[in-house]
Amino acid sequence: MKDTLHLMAVYTKTTAKAWFQYRVDAVLRSLAVFLREATGIIVIWFTLLKFDTLKGWDIYEMLFLFSLLFLTYGIMIIFFTGLRDFGKTVRDGSFDRFILRPRGLLFQIIFVNSDWFAAIGHGGLGLVLFLLSAGKVGIQWDLFNALYYILTVAGGVLIQGAVFLFLAALNIYLLQTESLKEMLYWNMRKFAGYPISIFNKFIQIIMIYVMPFAFVNYFPAQFLLRKSDMAEYPELYLYLTPIIGIVMYLAAYCFWRFSIRFYKSSGN
Amino acid sequence: MTAYTAYARKVFLGRSAYRFDHLMSILSTILQFFIFYEIYRALYGGEEQVDGITMSMVTTNFVLSLGLGTIFSPDDYFLPNKIWDGSISTELLRPVSFKGRMIAENVGNSAFNLIFKFIPVITVALLTTGMSAPADIPCFLLFLLSALLGAGVMFTISFAVQMTAFWLVNIWSLTTIKNVLVNVLSGSMIPLWFMPEWMQGVLNFTPFASIYFTPVQIYLGQLSYGEIAVKCAIQLVWIILIYLIGDLLWKKGQRKLVVQGG
Amino acid sequence: MSYIEVKNISKTFRVSKRRSGIPGMLANLVVPKYEKREAVKNISFSIGQGEMVGFIGPNGAGKSTTIKMLSGILFPDSGEITCSGVIPYKQRKNYVGRIGVVFGQKSQLQWDLPVIDSFELLKAIYRIPDDVYKKNLGRFTEMLDMSGFINQPVRQLSLGQRMRSDIAAALLHSPETVFFDEPTIGVDVVGKEAIRSFIRELNAQDNMTMIFTTHDMQDIEKTCNRVIIIDKGSKVYDGALSDIREHYGSSRSLDVEFMTDTETAPIAGVETENIDARHKRFIFGKDVHINDLMSLLLQNYSVRDINISEPDIESIIRKIYSGEGAA
Repeated sequence: MKDTLHLMAVYTKTTAKAWFQYRVDAVLRSLAVFLREATGIIVIWFTLLKFDTLKGWDIYEMLFLFSLLFLTYGIMIIFFTGLRDFGKTVRDGSFDRFILRPRGLLFQIIFVNSDWFAAIGHGGLGLVLFLLSAGKVGIQWDLFNALYYILTVAGGVLIQGAVFLFLAALNIYLLQTESLKEMLYWNMRKFAGYPISIFNKFIQIIMIYVMPFAFVNYFPAQFLLRKSDMAEYPELYLYLTPIIGIVMYLAAYCFWRFSIRFYKSSGN
Repeated sequence: MTAYTAYARKVFLGRSAYRFDHLMSILSTILQFFIFYEIYRALYGGEEQVDGITMSMVTTNFVLSLGLGTIFSPDDYFLPNKIWDGSISTELLRPVSFKGRMIAENVGNSAFNLIFKFIPVITVALLTTGMSAPADIPCFLLFLLSALLGAGVMFTISFAVQMTAFWLVNIWSLTTIKNVLVNVLSGSMIPLWFMPEWMQGVLNFTPFASIYFTPVQIYLGQLSYGEIAVKCAIQLVWIILIYLIGDLLWKKGQRKLVVQGG
Repeated sequence: MSYIEVKNISKTFRVSKRRSGIPGMLANLVVPKYEKREAVKNISFSIGQGEMVGFIGPNGAGKSTTIKMLSGILFPDSGEITCSGVIPYKQRKNYVGRIGVVFGQKSQLQWDLPVIDSFELLKAIYRIPDDVYKKNLGRFTEMLDMSGFINQPVRQLSLGQRMRSDIAAALLHSPETVFFDEPTIGVDVVGKEAIRSFIRELNAQDNMTMIFTTHDMQDIEKTCNRVIIIDKGSKVYDGALSDIREHYGSSRSLDVEFMTDTETAPIAGVETENIDARHKRFIFGKDVHINDLMSLLLQNYSVRDINISEPDIESIIRKIYSGEGAA
């Protein structure tokens, strides 16, 4: 355990040191991530200056909905950068090197390259949005609601981590999965900033049952906000986030374990 | 000239290697479009028009911006990657102009995107949404001209930003910030008609509206011929101005490269 | 005593077949074509502890695949590999802690950071005890003459410096077996020599088992006492380098320069090549005595100069690849 923590510390130190070789870029990095992620929010802010509400959701409620998305991603990316970039790791031969080192493969993938800047950028944005909105949307922050909030954030982290792990495992069969990830994760994530009820049925089904972003932010936000459009969905969905997170993560982990033995080195 | 054609061809053909990937990126663009479409449908909530802007104008704005966006996709890391891995010094020794090669590879890439991305995306959009037809034929032709200039603005911005890699080496952050500015301020994520007045005023002093919004306005027939001439001239001025800045950095950067030996 | 034991391993890949040109590209987009490629076919061999073995063969012969299976990166489709009692691809963590691998084409150093930072990271990864680390670092720094650049970022090093650092990196944890995949590729002559002498010295001192793949026959001649030649996925030769000439019963040649333009009559058992009007090369096998040939030439023609050459190993191996070698 001590040994593992030591290695994690050395990895983190090395990563940070490598980034600070390029000072301007390192300084701007979190800001860049923050701005990139804020793009959708800037857009919705400008839009709601004109339109006031989006299907009954005002700007603060929208910010609260967004905040869950960014907080969970900010936490997740501390651990899952390596899985996010796994395709590149396989293609450039770095994964061969991981196999040649006497450490767990998943451990190496996760800790060789934690994206702290993205974590700060996303997490920071999530926090800013949370602080801006949490007091203005009429949520009673009692113990029960706070506990609910913590559990759903954990669930949201696991749901997204499971997707990255699943896609990384898929990478073993297909050399390029960036676009699948782009489509399944990143594009769906763009929908996730908004109340899913505004979208057509097909997209709602994807958001709930295929790439369940609805459980990362929409249903948890609904539990706390109770907007009228919740009438379109079963009450039960308000409570499922942590369970879905655990189940998805376990399933993805099993798939990863199963797939890794089919790895074929890309050769030269 | 043949060397540049060869570079363009190489990129064009190279793009076909990842079939699945390409198919996904088409779908990804179409989805992106539907997100905006659905959001605006919800915002309009059945209204014909808001402040004189109809839903079909909004749709047209998104289809054209995202469609053109598939073609205007410069390789932002063409030079930075070569500086980072050190291959720039050998690249510069080749008997081909490096800038010429940059243009050639981007042309090859854009040509591929035009055929295999833009056309499918536009076809789907035309079949599924109420996109407006061009105002008239002259407007459509002027739209094509203006779109070409828009591409020029997009590529020169990328060119100038890439040049900072001579000093910074790693320019991920700068490139990302550049792309945020392009996305928000060019009208591809929010139609600029909906921007607050003061913001529209600010935008007049930036090159971003020249990328997509000018062509879209021309397409919709919102501008008189006089205005079109002015807007296209502005596009041209931006291209020249940004190129000159980029070129200055390019010359200084090369000198720096010689001094430090990569 | 065999240390590495390889029995009948095979490996097949499925590769997508690219068609060329624009119509071909369209076809690729719609219907991809795959074909099976047998990279390694039924190869067996065994290697003793402390041996230095070179794997050679043309590109795509299956050398890299074999090395990747030996080092535990790939699973063989069939057959067995054991290395000091361990099956590499099944007991990965146990195994890889005892081997070192150098890929000449793919550095394991942190590109943006000074060399020493990569070493420190490896120390943590391999759990190298402080004293071993210090001893090895000091020793390799001296042997490989790294003190001048160990604090420089890798991206600023020359290829030779980078390769030396990479070799040191692979050896810091005192592995029992080391795999070198093209360890001198792109390095200049002086650099190559430094690397080779380091490898020889290390083998002599530590009795490490070393396995090479390379295209540079000099690497093999100067380091290995045994070669395994692989061609089209099969093993075609396994033995001492010096035995290759004998084994393939190869020919020697005599280069002769005449005083004037000369036509020679055919000689039994000797092949004659015209280099130009005054130069000829006579190629002959073991059954011809060199004395007989020389006296025949000297008696019948006016000769200015004679040069005997043993065929170089490279040309013999080229012949083996092209299938002419089978004696």
